[in-house]
Amino acid sequence: MDIVVSVKTNLDLQMIRIKNREPVLEAIPYKTGDLDKNAVEAALQLRDAVGDSKVIALTVAESNRKVRETIKEVLAMGADEAVLIVDPALESTDQAGVARTLAAALQKIGSYDLVLFGEGSSDDYSGQVGPRVAELLGVPQIGYARKITAGGAGVLVERSMDEFIETLEAPLPAVLTVVSEINEPRIPSLMNIMKAGKKPTEEWSLADLGLDPAAVASSCETLSNLAEEQDRKHVMLEGGAVDQAAGLVNALLKEGILGR
Amino acid sequence: MNIEAKLGLDVFKIDKERHITIDVEVCNRVCTDKACLYVCPAHLYEIDDQGNNTVNFEGCLECGTCLISCDHRALEWHYPRGEYGVQYRMG
Amino acid sequence: MEKVDCIIVGGGLAGLSAAYGLASEGLEVMVVERGDYSGAKNVTGGRLYLSPIRDIYPELWESAPFERPVTRELVTLMGDGASTTLELASDCFATAPYQSYTVLRARLDQWLADQVMEKGGMVITKNRVDEILVEGSKVIGIRAGADDIGADVTIIAEGVLGLLSSKVGLREEPLARDHALGYKEILELPSSVIQDRWHLNEGEGAAHLFMGEVTKGMMGGGFLYTNKDSISLGIVVGMSAMRERKEKIESHTLLDAFKELPQIRPLVEGGTLVEYSAHAIPEGGIAKVPKLFGDGYLMVGDAAGLALNALLTVRGMDFAIASGFYAARAVADAKSRGDCSAAGLAQYEQSLRSSFVLKDLETAKDIPHIMENPRLFTHYPQAVSGLLEKLYTIGPHPSQKLSSTVIGGVRKDFMNARTLKELYAMRKI
Ligand SMILES: Cc1cc2nc3c(=O)[nH]c(=O)nc-3n(C[C@H](O)[C@H](O)[C@H](O)COP(=O)(O)OP(=O)(O)OC[C@H]3O[C@@H](n4cnc5c(N)ncnc54)[C@H](O)[C@@H]3O)c2cc1C
Ligand code: SF4
Ligand code: SF4
Repeated sequence: MDIVVSVKTNLDLQMIRIKNREPVLEAIPYKTGDLDKNAVEAALQLRDAVGDSKVIALTVAESNRKVRETIKEVLAMGADEAVLIVDPALESTDQAGVARTLAAALQKIGSYDLVLFGEGSSDDYSGQVGPRVAELLGVPQIGYARKITAGGAGVLVERSMDEFIETLEAPLPAVLTVVSEINEPRIPSLMNIMKAGKKPTEEWSLADLGLDPAAVASSCETLSNLAEEQDRKHVMLEGGAVDQAAGLVNALLKEGILGR
Repeated sequence: MNIEAKLGLDVFKIDKERHITIDVEVCNRVCTDKACLYVCPAHLYEIDDQGNNTVNFEGCLECGTCLISCDHRALEWHYPRGEYGVQYRMG
Repeated sequence: MEKVDCIIVGGGLAGLSAAYGLASEGLEVMVVERGDYSGAKNVTGGRLYLSPIRDIYPELWESAPFERPVTRELVTLMGDGASTTLELASDCFATAPYQSYTVLRARLDQWLADQVMEKGGMVITKNRVDEILVEGSKVIGIRAGADDIGADVTIIAEGVLGLLSSKVGLREEPLARDHALGYKEILELPSSVIQDRWHLNEGEGAAHLFMGEVTKGMMGGGFLYTNKDSISLGIVVGMSAMRERKEKIESHTLLDAFKELPQIRPLVEGGTLVEYSAHAIPEGGIAKVPKLFGDGYLMVGDAAGLALNALLTVRGMDFAIASGFYAARAVADAKSRGDCSAAGLAQYEQSLRSSFVLKDLETAKDIPHIMENPRLFTHYPQAVSGLLEKLYTIGPHPSQKLSSTVIGGVRKDFMNARTLKELYAMRKI
């Protein structure tokens, strides 16, 4: 079984500080998407369970520098090969552009039975890329996988829905997105990190995929990205505890927060 | 700005495992000076309600001053695992 | 056990400098660093003396992310309620090539790690080395998590605490009397404000040291360095001094009190606090430098106690970089001769002895003792200012013994028994 797992490099969100209500994005280290690591782990487990399979890590970014640690990390976890789509034009892309690029890359890779994604990325969390790729490739997709086994028509998947679990089967090739509860991603050992550099890695540009930079350009522009400012009511409740409690209930009723 | 607020500016990646463990029995039995309480630049050591020494390892700056200053070897102190502990943005 | 040519424990300046040298020679080198990136765990006051190391890796420094060259040197001797500020205006500091630069470690160390990788060296971050593996008297590699990795030579660059090396007896455990605690705040200020406040030309920087009241009489001092758009303001205080003081002071409150002093408040006014950090500093001097090499290993930087606190100059980074450089040379040599035993690596110590590293430490061997005499600052500010220029000067060559020049210059002003007694104590500087 050939499994392609798509991984994304994000900024390490914990390292970002806020200055004048704006995030300071300069010199923030990169980090592999958390759910992407679950997807890699799922791919590795499936590969080992099925046998005679390989895992290809696929990533898209505007520079090699941005993704090199991510690629090293997933190869160290155990992926067999990596394909990087690197092109400066990807600097200003969006989910649709990334999906187009990934779909083109998958077509160039040619043989794939399963394509795995995290259900969303650690930064934008739009959850769009996996489903979009499935549509572009015209293959079945199953989102929110919490368990994946080879079998049935091709693959058997338990989906984690809010209040129930759904079990589906799909023929291959198929696109799956995984949730964090599916597994605990392994931490690569030093030795494997060392060897990761020697695994086969391909780097393609958009031109190599026959894509025009215009085809991946974002159709929206972010004008501002700020948390909403909320006005405080500044209501002070006076009196003893009993009076304050009554006052609070009244105030909440008046705001329509209680008793709806 | 008080010390808690200062520490709030730093990035701490907090491990489930603690990297500082106090042998409280030693603190109670032999230590009169209790150096850890005043040498720690992050002010993380505190005597709790039961009179026992505690450390809020989560805010540790990893300077090692408490370890070096404890004459009674009451501390089991090692660096946090990779991916954890303080990460200075500027240093 | 898998094996590489050389493993480096710790990706600070010492370890990375060694890695850069080895990778440049084409050796297989693996740096293991526990921080998320090199520099993530490292703290310095603020200035790197470049003159002593400019000719080491001359190709590197042009692209280094330095903050500002230090063109203004200030020192304030603080009494209780009275202080003297001395400014040393000297053309040799104010013109290029500058002898020192202010730095921030997260930037500097990451940049050096990038240079190592560009030369083909491996820098593995987010991984802690758990053990140094020893077989008989020989260091054979490291243990990290479940992995044992062997190396012909292991370079120990784990920094001041030396936790791993002391555990296997390669050095002693750190003692309070040989260490100081250093801690600081980084306060953001617009670059134009920094230049106005410290009377600097565009891009130039100031270094300002404080002694006396700032540490409430404890051995140590305060420092202020100007970065590009922030200042580093901090305190260094002897660990023993904190213990010995009758009335104990919570260390973190010293820095708050320092900021409230009338001389300091206007300097930090309007600054936004963005980081608070702390680190230990080796202050044992040459007496505490452990055995620097043995079968299969070398010790570099703070891990080997190669740092010097000499009144007005705090140095460790230049020592770290230089010791890394000489370690790389020794390892490359030993590898080419196929002899990584202690005998094969002995060249390392010899080259440190003939360089400024051990020479300057040797010259300064009595400084820890001298620094305990508060009269040096209170009774002899003139003598101190006379000493200033000498003490500030870190040339490309090993420092000279200062006693002859100092005694010569001061004798005519202070020919009395008391002064001579004090000078007698200073003769060893
Ligand atoms: C407040 C302060 C002010 C100072 N001012 C100056 C100054 O103005 N000028 C100057 O030249 N020097 C100054 N120094 C000294 C200088 O900072 C040090 O001498 C220098 O940082 C030493 O470099 P190093 O590479 O030897 O050690 P470090 O920078 O401490 O590097 C050690 C590295 O090893 C890593 N490490 C440790 N253990 C492990 C492990 N088990 N596994 C993996 N990685 C590990 C650490 O994360 C770290 O990156 C100052 C120090 C302090 C604290
Ligand atoms: S100094 Fe050591 S023995 Fe004393 S209270 Fe602190 S940890 Fe305990
Ligand atoms: S290592 Fe430093 S910051 Fe951490 S608890 Fe000890 S003294 Fe405090």
